[in-house]
Amino acid sequence: MHYQADVSDTVYRYDGSFQGFLCCVFESFARREIPAAVCTPQTEQLTLFALRNIPTDEQRARRVFAGVGRLGGQLRYRLTTAFLSAEPDKDLTLLRFVRRAFEAGPGAAQMLGDPEIAAAWALERAVNNEAHLLLEFLRFEERGGMLGAVIHPKNRVLPLLRAHFCSRLPDESFMIYDATHGVAMLRRGDEVRYLEMQDYAPEPNEAEENWQQLWQGFFRALTIEERRNPRCQRTHCPKRFWPDMCEMRQPPGRANRLQADGGRPALAGVPDKEKGKAAFP
Amino acid sequence: MLTLEQKLEILADSAKYDVACTSSGVERAGRHGSLGSCSAAGICHSFTPDGRCVSLLKVLYSNACSYDCSYCVNRRTNDVPRATFAPRELAELTIGFYRRNYIEGLFLSSAVLGSPDATMERMIEALRILREEYRFRGYIHAKAIPGADPLLVRRLGFLADRLSVNIELPSAGSLQRLAPDKTRGAVLAPMRQIAAEREQNSRDLQLYRSAPEFAPAGQSTQMIIGASPESDRQILHLTQALYRKYSLKRVFYSAYLPVVQDPRLPAVTTRPPLLREHRLYQADWLLRFYHFTAEELLTEAEPNFNPYLDPKCNWALQHPEAFPVEVNSAPKELLLRVPGIGPKSALRILKARRMQRLGMDELKRIGVVLKRAQYFITCRGYLGAHGTRAEIAGALVDPKAFGVGVQQLSLDDCMPRALPDAAPELHRLTGQGMDAWQAARALKQEAVTCITRRM
Repeated sequence: MHYQADVSDTVYRYDGSFQGFLCCVFESFARREIPAAVCTPQTEQLTLFALRNIPTDEQRARRVFAGVGRLGGQLRYRLTTAFLSAEPDKDLTLLRFVRRAFEAGPGAAQMLGDPEIAAAWALERAVNNEAHLLLEFLRFEERGGMLGAVIHPKNRVLPLLRAHFCSRLPDESFMIYDATHGVAMLRRGDEVRYLEMQDYAPEPNEAEENWQQLWQGFFRALTIEERRNPRCQRTHCPKRFWPDMCEMRQPPGRANRLQADGGRPALAGVPDKEKGKAAFP
Repeated sequence: MLTLEQKLEILADSAKYDVACTSSGVERAGRHGSLGSCSAAGICHSFTPDGRCVSLLKVLYSNACSYDCSYCVNRRTNDVPRATFAPRELAELTIGFYRRNYIEGLFLSSAVLGSPDATMERMIEALRILREEYRFRGYIHAKAIPGADPLLVRRLGFLADRLSVNIELPSAGSLQRLAPDKTRGAVLAPMRQIAAEREQNSRDLQLYRSAPEFAPAGQSTQMIIGASPESDRQILHLTQALYRKYSLKRVFYSAYLPVVQDPRLPAVTTRPPLLREHRLYQADWLLRFYHFTAEELLTEAEPNFNPYLDPKCNWALQHPEAFPVEVNSAPKELLLRVPGIGPKSALRILKARRMQRLGMDELKRIGVVLKRAQYFITCRGYLGAHGTRAEIAGALVDPKAFGVGVQQLSLDDCMPRALPDAAPELHRLTGQGMDAWQAARALKQEAVTCITRRM
């Protein structure tokens, strides 16, 4: 398979759900073709190719997913994780990956040198890496007896954070708000729910600010000036995470002074939109 | 009376030179009725502007020391603010930070508060409150104080995940000269005890599944580099002996920062030997994950690391007879010797080559650093790349040694400078007023020529 001749001049359009994607795989398999592109209503572009709408069919999706399951847990995990990616052409990459895996059988999980498999593996790693960074850099604030955190991830990583925090805080209620995609994960008791949310702006709280000050003081005290190496810091902790981390925000006094001097604001390089979102009242 | 914030800042400031801030080595899921979990790979929670990770709440229990070690900021004769935690205060602080996902657990060390035994008792009390009253299941790293009673070390081991005893300086002579209150024997005794207890505990755990665990994440140690005249070879041999004899999990190195004017120590203006520290860590990794031995890496004739080459590349250049390695058939040990192939990519190669023959394109997708590896491998019998000696030397030379960048310390500061972990020679050249970029280029040229000539 995957000769250039298999690539047809059609574009698949589906509704963006995982089931919908599996139906695209079904369609591609049934027609023995690889589409030129796969799009969702969000990523749709004007094209000269014929557009085919793929309806989402629960039955077909289940058949395809069972088929992927027969190829082994590793490939299934690769598919479900990589699907959380926000790459614009991830749909086509993953469709080609699933077709290739069906062709090669369960051994496909190890074929990391294969271009189709490697492309999906790269997506999986990107999503997993971002999820891991958020396990590190996510910061909770206690508001009204509940822990809340705001994150701005590129990919839809909330499901990958769930197991870790549920295990770590077994008796706590908490909420993690993914501000990029407008989804919140709410955990109460033994139940986890995903909610669509437009905004999350908790009330200011003195006790919480005290904790943040303690942490900022600790963070400042830990730095060894003679070893100062901001580039190394940015390699390990990319700047896009900084607005959500309380110790990386400059203390208010210093930020104001810089503004008054006409200097750069405390967080140069962060788009204004994000800054507004990150700063709590 | 100090506030909690002041205390925390003083005691964190005193602990910042301790380098063992890792949370790895134990996997423990959370449980209802308690707080916390551990992840075997370890989790870093933040990075300070010096690029070091913050994983644990790293504090001293107290910095009011009764010893007088000349290299230490907390020594008795130094005029610094002193503070001591109360056990419950420390436990509350840990829980508060932990719930907010600031930290992975607690790193507790202490200055000697009166006597080693008294200090250990108070540390144990703080950890007991944390484990038993707050039912904390997160990571705890505790320092055993040399000279404390073995029974106290034993109790500490059942509360902490990792224990460590600082060996401080790489030889007994230096220890005696710079830390007259500590002896080599007092440092090694608890280390030996911890190793023995862990062995006993692993036998107990085989018999009784619910036996309490003694320091499940093992023990580590740290030593100061650059305060005393030992060579890299001596330090690496010591490291290897510690791994073999006391089955340590990690040995940490800490570049000496001059904090005091003392005739026995390097001058206060000396730069911390950060590149040397980096080379030692690279060699340490080679010992633990790449099946190298200390004897292979450094010889009597060449007792120190080359500042411009990492130890693995250095070894590869000195052993041309070991290469090229055929990636489609070589065993793992040989793959690991190739510059640019690490444990992860070696494992991936082993898996992938069962399914397909590997060529250069496949290796690139697998994640091998071809820039260095291409000169040392063959794929299906063909050499990865042909290069002149100068090209190979240019690919292997370590860019870190020539690091130049703008380190903005104030707003109007846009001068490029040598990075703190660049080669000492580069610092010397820029110190003489040479332009940093120009100096780096000239130095790199010289290093490449020098390496080429030796090949």
